[in-house]
Amino acid sequence: MSNPIVLSSRVRLARNYQDLPFDVANKSDAASMCVARTANALRLSGQDAGFQLLRLRDMEDVQRKALAEVHLISKDLLRNPYTAAVLLNEAAGVSIMMNEEDHLRIQAIARGMELQKAADECFRMDDALSRQVSFAYDEQLGYLTACPTNTGTGMRASLLLHLPMLTILKQMGSVGQIVAKVGLTIRGVYGEGSEALGNLYLVSNQVTLGRTEQELISAVTAVGHQLTDMEMALREKSLQNGRNALEDTIYRSWGIMQYARIMSQNEFFKHWSGVRLGAAMGMLPVKLATLDALLEQAQDANLQALTESAVTGRELDEKRAACIRAMLKE
Amino acid sequence: MLCEECKVNEASYTLSVMVGEEVKTRHLCGDCMAKMNMNIASGNIKSLLSSILSAITGNDTPAEKAPEVVCPRCRTTLSQFTKTGHLGCPACYEAFHEQLQPMLLQIHGRVQHAGRKPLATEDAQRSRYRQEDLTRQMEQAIAVEDFETAAKIRDQLKALAEKEAEQ
Ligand SMILES: [Zn+2]
Ligand SMILES: [Zn+2]
Repeated sequence: MSNPIVLSSRVRLARNYQDLPFDVANKSDAASMCVARTANALRLSGQDAGFQLLRLRDMEDVQRKALAEVHLISKDLLRNPYTAAVLLNEAAGVSIMMNEEDHLRIQAIARGMELQKAADECFRMDDALSRQVSFAYDEQLGYLTACPTNTGTGMRASLLLHLPMLTILKQMGSVGQIVAKVGLTIRGVYGEGSEALGNLYLVSNQVTLGRTEQELISAVTAVGHQLTDMEMALREKSLQNGRNALEDTIYRSWGIMQYARIMSQNEFFKHWSGVRLGAAMGMLPVKLATLDALLEQAQDANLQALTESAVTGRELDEKRAACIRAMLKE
Repeated sequence: MLCEECKVNEASYTLSVMVGEEVKTRHLCGDCMAKMNMNIASGNIKSLLSSILSAITGNDTPAEKAPEVVCPRCRTTLSQFTKTGHLGCPACYEAFHEQLQPMLLQIHGRVQHAGRKPLATEDAQRSRYRQEDLTRQMEQAIAVEDFETAAKIRDQLKALAEKEAEQ
């Protein structure tokens, strides 16, 4: 299940109700109709086992942010704290977001290189709901969405990739070109602007109209394999030329992660990347699955959600260092 | 020829978009072409849409010169759409069809959907069964020359069809 490069696969489908305006986030009547209708449709479909309805306005801020950190809800959903809601099946990694940019964003996450599995999960929920309700659909244009960039399939398929060597050796520019050539995009996942904290990237399809879901999934998967090969080749190569420098980076990160008492989120991302690289290359005695879980648990909101009182600043950085030490000991 | 976007650099690229039947072209410099591509890549649809639209209408503020197009359902105007990059409701696709076609072609390279379709809803299925049932009853009534009943059933069928059309 754990993959040396691909941490997770995510698929989301944008769907809208035929009879409601798109920007329901600012129209509370239509927004609550959207939530009620969706929850009811899911119940009637008989596929509601494991799902719970969470309204953002009923949740603590850290709880909402914690879900966004692990991508179970989108950051955009947080922008509508009064109207947005999610039907969440946390164990299955499936969420149906309501009142985001579109009425519904059906999303599934799977560990590793499993786009098809995530897509099938989305299709199952889509079919179940579409037996109960009418989605805005046009024979020529497919699913109609609030923004024309999502029209058609309404699907975004993405892979979360760890590309430390391509980043260190300044190859991300040419990676961007390769990816753009086949109609996909790549961007950093964490951090602002062009920085990619933890050397983590999201590669996804850009176009949504005129291709089948299968064609889009194949295209993203193919690029996922291509980038995996490129990253692996660079890892091999740096073992041959410059092994010492590579080992130095990895073991420094390993030392800091095991023994530090105070760690900021940015420092965590940096050393997490070094340790995951070392673990994937068989240098460090730690499981990839442990590191992938750590990536989720050691971020600000997830740490805060674990503690009773709202800790911040220095105190939070101490909690983070303790959490990392504990998880690496297991 | 100067770039039509920045009007500073020499234009070395041609951006073509379909407007109805004809192809309109814009001449851009490398920088502005790159910016256009960046907008596509970063999903910065707002500036992408306004640049495509101004390319199509030939001026930077299409709303002020051309008569305003308004969606009959949600009252969103074409200029609101170009400002935000977001449509107001599903009916906007019909209302802004002419402006959307070239835009969708620019974004996706294609304008014919090829993917999944929604399954028939249970309501729609029930309504279809009901119509089939009524049609059979009407035929039977006509067969026995009970035209009064047949006319009643025809009215019921008409009402059902109208209800379906609304949805
Ligand atoms: Zn220019
Ligand atoms: Zn509209």
